Amino acid sequence: MKRSFFSGPYALWMVLFTIFPLIFVAFYALTDKNGAFTFANLAQGFENDYMKVLWRSIRLALECTAICLLLGYPCAYILAGKDFSRHKSLFVLILLPMWMNFLLRTYATMTLLEDTGVINSLLEKLGMQPKKLIGTRGAVLFGMVYNYLPFMVLPIHTSVKKMDERVIEAAQDLGANPVRVFFRVKLPLSVPGIISGISMVFMPSVTTFAISRLLGSGMIHMLGDTIENQFMTLNNWQFGSALSLVMMALILLSMGLLNRIDINKSERTNNW
Amino acid sequence: MYENTKLIELVGISKSFGDTQVLKQINLYICRSEFVTLLGPSGCGKTTTLRIIGGFESPDEGTVLFDGKDITGVPPYKRRVNTIFQKYALFTHLNVYDNVAFGLRLKTPEELLPGVAKPTRAQAREEIDRRIMRMLRLVKMEAYAKRGVDALSGGQQQRIAIARALVNEPEVLLLDEPLGALDLKLRREMQLELKNMQQQLGITFIYVTHDQEEALTMSDTIVVMNGGVIQQIGSGKSIYDEPKNAFVANFIGDSNILDAVMNEDFEVSAAGRVFECVDEGFDKNEPVDMVVRPEDIMLVGEDVGMLNGVVKSVLFKGVHYEMIIEAGSFDWKVHSTAMYAPGSRVGLSVVPSNIHIMHKMAREA
Repeated sequence: MKRSFFSGPYALWMVLFTIFPLIFVAFYALTDKNGAFTFANLAQGFENDYMKVLWRSIRLALECTAICLLLGYPCAYILAGKDFSRHKSLFVLILLPMWMNFLLRTYATMTLLEDTGVINSLLEKLGMQPKKLIGTRGAVLFGMVYNYLPFMVLPIHTSVKKMDERVIEAAQDLGANPVRVFFRVKLPLSVPGIISGISMVFMPSVTTFAISRLLGSGMIHMLGDTIENQFMTLNNWQFGSALSLVMMALILLSMGLLNRIDINKSERTNNW
Repeated sequence: MYENTKLIELVGISKSFGDTQVLKQINLYICRSEFVTLLGPSGCGKTTTLRIIGGFESPDEGTVLFDGKDITGVPPYKRRVNTIFQKYALFTHLNVYDNVAFGLRLKTPEELLPGVAKPTRAQAREEIDRRIMRMLRLVKMEAYAKRGVDALSGGQQQRIAIARALVNEPEVLLLDEPLGALDLKLRREMQLELKNMQQQLGITFIYVTHDQEEALTMSDTIVVMNGGVIQQIGSGKSIYDEPKNAFVANFIGDSNILDAVMNEDFEVSAAGRVFECVDEGFDKNEPVDMVVRPEDIMLVGEDVGMLNGVVKSVLFKGVHYEMIIEAGSFDWKVHSTAMYAPGSRVGLSVVPSNIHIMHKMAREA
């Protein structure tokens, strides 16, 4: 029996649940309601309104990724260090939210941010003016960062953790003080982790829909919400598919760019 | 050879990791331009000693002196020593050239060009380039300057590690089993190359190995360590010819070690008979270790030698045969260019100066 036989189930799965749906999406995107071939749907996707939504999604995703990187890198770095590597529980705390359903997490965030939610009632008890939190851009960004932070921490943690202690000692030995050791050796060696972290956070961020709907109270429309609307509410599968294709192109493009940095800057390592 | 001035001195160094004490009151000094080897089995504390000199470990007790100054608390990046690590520890994100440049680029233009009044950055860059290319030529790697280090063989990586350390012109080079990952032939070549470089550049080398042959080939001075204690310090020849105790005798070269009793000066009893020897100053009837090197035993005809024995086994070792011969209820290891078949009866003989008498070691873990 050939070894390729064992990849059969996977190939079948791919065909049934990836290739076929993709063909359907492409079919719907390139046909009108009567099934005739057309570019109208795709063209509509590039109209001003939708480009605005696209731009908003990209900006929010970029901001979310940047915040996750700024929060996640130090966190992963410290947790991978000597002082904390024995305290596994701290690391579990980072991962714990990942084990819960993300909708549940987002509903929990809602109860925090609501007009009569935990934060506002606390402010009131302290005699301060309640603040409008839910339904703002900040709330959506907060929800995204909260949901995707572990995906930044994990790959960076792995890449810092597997750094050879001797290589760091070699840098010290050659005269590098702690700051220079970090910027000339540790940071460059953790680039593969940073790259995976960025892609792990940016991809789901740019396609987010439930978080923006729940925490944005329908005020902050993202590309994911628009696509969901086309399918579920407006029943316009053709245009929804066209938007999905645009989004896929966007993701493939950004992944391609990231991979180029990865190849140029450092050895390719698979953290995930 | 080396100048007789102390460059590094370890005074009363002790170190424990958790419950295990790895170094017990180490006292040692190393002279300028000396090639010193720390030799011992794994876990004897030799690498820890090296790491304390490099500044990567701090001792629990004792002081490290460099040129007479206390450097015990000085971090590695401020010490004038460089290290070659066991598995080279090259920077995988940099190419060969940038690996070698690492230490030089951390220096200021003034440090790089002490003779020039106000050196510019461009001058510094030129100086760095000049030094790197000279060093790459020395290790015969100038053709590989722009290669990534992952693509290099073990021997090539080793050369880059050497270049990366030596380009900084350290006063002391620490080497932690640097040839351990290489095959035997390459190891022999690198041993000679390292020794040549050390003599050419006049740098002090502190070399850690568990390979006694490597130690004997390269070193001016060998420090034999076991169980966190220095067993003997001396030149390779003096340690081989006059081992201080049974551990050293056994670790450096092969040895027959017999339980013996010192009857009086120049007379020892072992293996059921009395031997004449050249040792004195032991207590009367003191139990001692008697050490005889396998190559110092002469095989003669039966009833002509000091002991009669039967050959139990023979191994061909290239230049000589190694035979196990039972005589006087002891299995003697004997090296000889003549072969005696298993079962044959032979006589054994040793000249008095080749019998080494040692105090029994304190049997401790």
